[in-house]
Amino acid sequence: MNDWQPKITAFLCNWCSYGAADLAGVSRLQYPSNIRVIRVPCSARVSPKLILAAFRHGADGVWVSG
Amino acid sequence: MITFKMNGKTVQGEEGQYILQVAQKYGIDIPTLCYHKALEPAGMCRLCTVELFDGRRTRFVTACNYPIWEGMEVKTDSEAVRKGRKLIVELLFARCPDVPLLKNLAKKYGIVEPRFKKEQDDCILCGLCTRICEKMGNAAISLTGRGTEMKVDTPFHIQTEYCMGCGACASVCPTGHIKLEDISKHAVKKIPSEYDMGLKGRKPIYVPYAQAIPNIPAIDRSKCMHFKTGGCKICAEFCGVGAIDYTQKDEIIELEVGAIILAPGFQPFDPSKHDTYNYARLPNVVTSMEFERILSASGPTMGHLARMSDHKEPKKIAWLQCVGSREIHPSDHPYCSSVCCMYAIKEAVIAKEHSGADLECAIFYMDMRTHGKEFERYYDAAREKHGVRFIRCRVHTVEGVPGTEDLSVRYATEDGALHKETFDMVVLSVGLESSPEVMELAGKLGIDLTESHFCRTGSFAPVATSKEGIYVCGAFQGPKDIPQSVIEASSAAARAGALLSSARNTLTKTKEVIEQKDTRGERPRIGVFVCHCGINIGSVVDVPAVRDYAKTLPYVEYVADNLYSCSQDTQDAMTQVIKANNLNRIVVAACTPKTHEPLFQETLVAAGLNKYLFEMTNIRNQDSWVHKESPSKATVKAKDLVRMATAKVALMEGLPEAALDVNQRALVIGGGISGMAAAKTLSDQGYQVDLIEREPVLGGQAINLYKTWQGEDIQENLKTLVTSVQGDKNIETHLGAELTQVEGFVGNFKSTFKAGGTKGTLEHGIAVLATGCYEHKPEEYLYGKDPRILTHQELDRKFIDQDSSLKRIKCAVFIQCVGSREPERPYCSRVCCTHSIGSALHLKEINPGMDVYILNRDIRTYGERELLYRAAREAGVIFIRFSRAQKPRVTVGKEGIEIEVMDHVLQRPVIVMADLLTLASAIVPYKDEKLAQFFKVPMSEDGFFVEAHAKLGPSQFATDGVFLCGMAHYPKPIDESVAQAQAAASRAVTLLARKNISVSGMVAYANPAVCSSCGVCVEICPYSAPSFIPKGPFAGKAEINPVLCKGCGLCVSSCRSGALNLKGFEEGQIMAMINEM
Amino acid sequence: MFEYTRKIREIARKLLEKGTVDVFIGYRKGTVAMMNEPVLIKDPAEVDFLHWDSHCGLNLCNYLTGRTDRIGLVANGCNSRNIVTHIIENQIKREQLYIVGIPCRGIIDHRAVKRAVGNREILEVGEEGESFTVSGKGFQEVFQKKDFLRTNCAVCVHRNPVEYDEMVADPVPELEGVNPFKDVEGIEKKSADEKRQFFTQLIASCIRCYACRNACPLCYCPTCFVDESRPQWVGKSIDPVDTMTFHFLRAYHCAGRCTDCGACERVCPVGIPMRQFTKKLNKDVFEYFGWEAGVRADQRPPLDVYRVDDYNEFVK
Repeated sequence: MNDWQPKITAFLCNWCSYGAADLAGVSRLQYPSNIRVIRVPCSARVSPKLILAAFRHGADGVWVSG
Repeated sequence: MITFKMNGKTVQGEEGQYILQVAQKYGIDIPTLCYHKALEPAGMCRLCTVELFDGRRTRFVTACNYPIWEGMEVKTDSEAVRKGRKLIVELLFARCPDVPLLKNLAKKYGIVEPRFKKEQDDCILCGLCTRICEKMGNAAISLTGRGTEMKVDTPFHIQTEYCMGCGACASVCPTGHIKLEDISKHAVKKIPSEYDMGLKGRKPIYVPYAQAIPNIPAIDRSKCMHFKTGGCKICAEFCGVGAIDYTQKDEIIELEVGAIILAPGFQPFDPSKHDTYNYARLPNVVTSMEFERILSASGPTMGHLARMSDHKEPKKIAWLQCVGSREIHPSDHPYCSSVCCMYAIKEAVIAKEHSGADLECAIFYMDMRTHGKEFERYYDAAREKHGVRFIRCRVHTVEGVPGTEDLSVRYATEDGALHKETFDMVVLSVGLESSPEVMELAGKLGIDLTESHFCRTGSFAPVATSKEGIYVCGAFQGPKDIPQSVIEASSAAARAGALLSSARNTLTKTKEVIEQKDTRGERPRIGVFVCHCGINIGSVVDVPAVRDYAKTLPYVEYVADNLYSCSQDTQDAMTQVIKANNLNRIVVAACTPKTHEPLFQETLVAAGLNKYLFEMTNIRNQDSWVHKESPSKATVKAKDLVRMATAKVALMEGLPEAALDVNQRALVIGGGISGMAAAKTLSDQGYQVDLIEREPVLGGQAINLYKTWQGEDIQENLKTLVTSVQGDKNIETHLGAELTQVEGFVGNFKSTFKAGGTKGTLEHGIAVLATGCYEHKPEEYLYGKDPRILTHQELDRKFIDQDSSLKRIKCAVFIQCVGSREPERPYCSRVCCTHSIGSALHLKEINPGMDVYILNRDIRTYGERELLYRAAREAGVIFIRFSRAQKPRVTVGKEGIEIEVMDHVLQRPVIVMADLLTLASAIVPYKDEKLAQFFKVPMSEDGFFVEAHAKLGPSQFATDGVFLCGMAHYPKPIDESVAQAQAAASRAVTLLARKNISVSGMVAYANPAVCSSCGVCVEICPYSAPSFIPKGPFAGKAEINPVLCKGCGLCVSSCRSGALNLKGFEEGQIMAMINEM
Repeated sequence: MFEYTRKIREIARKLLEKGTVDVFIGYRKGTVAMMNEPVLIKDPAEVDFLHWDSHCGLNLCNYLTGRTDRIGLVANGCNSRNIVTHIIENQIKREQLYIVGIPCRGIIDHRAVKRAVGNREILEVGEEGESFTVSGKGFQEVFQKKDFLRTNCAVCVHRNPVEYDEMVADPVPELEGVNPFKDVEGIEKKSADEKRQFFTQLIASCIRCYACRNACPLCYCPTCFVDESRPQWVGKSIDPVDTMTFHFLRAYHCAGRCTDCGACERVCPVGIPMRQFTKKLNKDVFEYFGWEAGVRADQRPPLDVYRVDDYNEFVK
């Protein structure tokens, strides 16, 4: 169980968090690769439906950021 | 291409490559110590030894400098190789037993104690330092001596003149052996990063800061070794696109322009001039600008609050206000820098957020100047909710606590008691000043400066310099914060625009339009382009594998990988590929869509495709760059991302971008100074304006005002303005008029008004709300009970009328904050302190013998108004401070008005007998809810209109096509009102000048058949895009006005019924991505 | 209770005869004991069907959605709050309604009664003051009402209607000192794993019949998300993940709107206490936004609007 890695779905706002994730890349910050980003026009676009859908499709964690 | 075997697997490399390079390409780990990708390999450390079978026999060669050849067989990890490496590590470990790098290596190879005699060296003679020094074109050091005597040294073992202290040797040294001070005669310093206020170093080639535009590196020629020796050129070798050009020269470019806007900003005051603060000596005394960087996530501590001397988390921080400001010392400035009180509070609150509530923050101040919109509330919250301590005292000395890194501050509290307190950090709230360069520029341009070295402007033309055609904005106009700077920026643009309006659109070119293919109903034919981005993606992610994987995905018809997808030739090739393969959906897996999506969309357009038939996925910034250590995982992620993108793009549709005509007429509501200035600016730019005023005359509150803080006669200037508005053929004024109805939206408003008994209808493209404020009629301090108790406007009326009774007054008192900064009106009215002081000075002019008192809670004469405050003190005006808990008491007697106030210095009540009491009463907005409803714009609790963005959009509403200015936004003096009026007009012109608005394709849409009419969307949208269908079969159901929609999707996610959806981010499209995750 | 019934009939007759309303919605005695059912009456001659006792557990607001005629209806505290929510959400106009307010003394939990008589079939139920009598083949028992109130009624702090045109009786005293969220606090204390286990257990018997949704006056969407197919948000099966998704989302759709009327639980054929979901959200909107659904008609629920001073402690 110790090497278990959660699958994380991230809904990132195009205008802030997605840009911040880009900036993390520019700064070469290293982080685990088990995250999949879905770019949204605004964190407001993310409804409970989408969050639950991500869980239904096997995400262990959902991150909404904006 | 050379094919050979590595660890039994067939691999390929280019002619001339070494074994190590090919191994790295395939992710095979070979340890190295003396290898550096920028240097020619030397085979010094032997750690990279591998086993080579050449068909006849086995040999051991160093992988770093052994060239590959066809058919060779290499084993990188055989038993013999491991044994050999272990011996090498053991020998090096014996030589340098204390070097961490070798300790770790020894541990990795299972060596506890070397079998050889231990020495105390820390150099492994890898020669990286000497090779890089040579590469730098310098050769200040080299390997000297032979055999056991060999070492890295300078000629004659002495510090050398020739070393330039570039630090390349130290930067490549794996063991930390190289010390620059041993080598160089010159003092060696890191290059301070300008952006990080010198708290961090930077390289000679650097991007100034992460958000820089253009976001490309620059070479600092004064620091770059190539410009000193002709050597190095490493950046050019590594740049895959050949962008480095050492031959570039500074050029002088001559431009012919019709107007100049000066926005040179300010420089922070340098507190090292003062030894009392010990800023230059004590590392934990920092400026507020440095503290901003310490708080910033991209700063030297990555947002972790730590002090610079020992990286300890501070537990107590003090802010000292007015450093360099409000000071008569010649090296300081007498003016107030306007912004420091607020930024100190902000820094304290953020510091507490970063560090936790137990961080103690103390702000030492003279007057707390939170005169901006919503600032007073922030101050209250900092004090009451966040527990920031505010101490009214000017601290003059900061001392180090001997034997620690802490700081000692001595201060006096208001009761006169002396205190000494220790802090972990002291932040100096440094002021703003004009830099010598800017002053020099002003000299060259021949524009007048004030005595404080800011640009001289007038209250009625706040962005015009003394020279026609030259405008100014921002902190050079006077110290100010972001919103006011942004306002002035727009205002200056408006003035320049008015000057140049006849030349508008004379230098434009028309873009060639390519006919768009109709792809509706076609089966998706997806093209996937995977980018190497030079080595940025390709060195981590297996790009060919991702490309081949993409080919297996549904609907994918074409795949390719590009070295640089964004290069012009690749773009042209993509256009051809799209056409030749009849592709109708495109995926680009490359860098970030935030910078490159528009570029690829243009390629689609060039190929005749709708630009929305596109999806970009980010395998660089969010993959290869952040998972460098695990290429295989990065490749898996890239495949997932491509799969998600193709799943989404298959569901994308071509979206139309309709254009909508903008009515070229403007409506300005409010005929005060702001409204008139806005109307005038619009007219100056050539637009027709309707100006509506509720009163029967133009002028607003200015009708009752005497002089500006700069001493300009308001009545005279007002008359000029009114005359020019009335004489303007572009402006139609409607006096005594009131709006009764507003329909429509940006570009197409239809408003109805009634004036007297008649009704009128106006059609307009934009609207400016300049409805202003009025003076609060106080209920306290016996106002209305005695003719000698006045408000500001009433006193000004007496000044205007040259009332002779003023001459007979012996003692005049002003009471500040009457109705402001109170629970029922918690904002600061911004203008009253300056107004009282101005009036006090007028009274002193009329009768120099008059006693004048100003009873205040804080004096808020921000900016150069501070000079007025000083003049008043010099003229003998007496300032007495009171607290909200202990307000002055006013009684009216025969001899005059008796005012009793608790003097904080004497700690006892003082009684003043006055024959004039002026109440600085609050500035109150009209709270016109109807107007807010008409234009669907928000209003704050206090009744001021709420702008689109407090900092960046101060003169416009979130609702398109509606703008605001003047006191309807927040109380402000005439200069700021005029500036904002011009700013609102400027923002409006950006819309009017386009003549039509192109509606984004990515907007929400409604399906009325499943709408439940619940109205959440109508309520929740900040842009008023959803509304109820007024009539027909779907009456009461929601519809979206695409012109107003910003495409955020808030309504979609709020819709329970699933009646709303967002084009480009449809529920189905996002679900497709989730499905494929 | 008969006093209430008499008064309701009298008002309904008056309204229908005068033509003040086109239809009157109330309850009538059910064919099964303790199961009163809604009734729509248009003819003044039929008003004697109307009935009120402690078994009127369905929410009549359900029958208002989208009606265009003039309606009279009875409403106790929670039902009246749902009417207010309906008005705010444009499902009905206040002018269309004549609300006959009922000061409510709580509805009886028919399942608890059944358990108390050993699940024997109850054929008759009578009510007298604070006690009630149930009888069946060979048994008759008298119970105290207060011991058998539905769990939502036992902690109800809005027994009197918040909106009405006429009351059938004087208001009843509101309960004091009750903590409506005691059970939620218990769940909040659980660890993540315990919570998961708790909720999995809670809905294990769900057969996805959607009776809860149909009984809920908030669920008036023309198409429910569970029935959407493009995209399909939830599987149609009783896979535990799908069932959980359904319950979570249904609860979220009720956030800030649920009046805790208990209709969902009453109609659940397998007896799932699904108010455990909605109550947590009720608690949160109350604590973070000071909001109780349907108490004020001049404001939208907190999740429909943005205010600068909205709860934002999670932004850090």
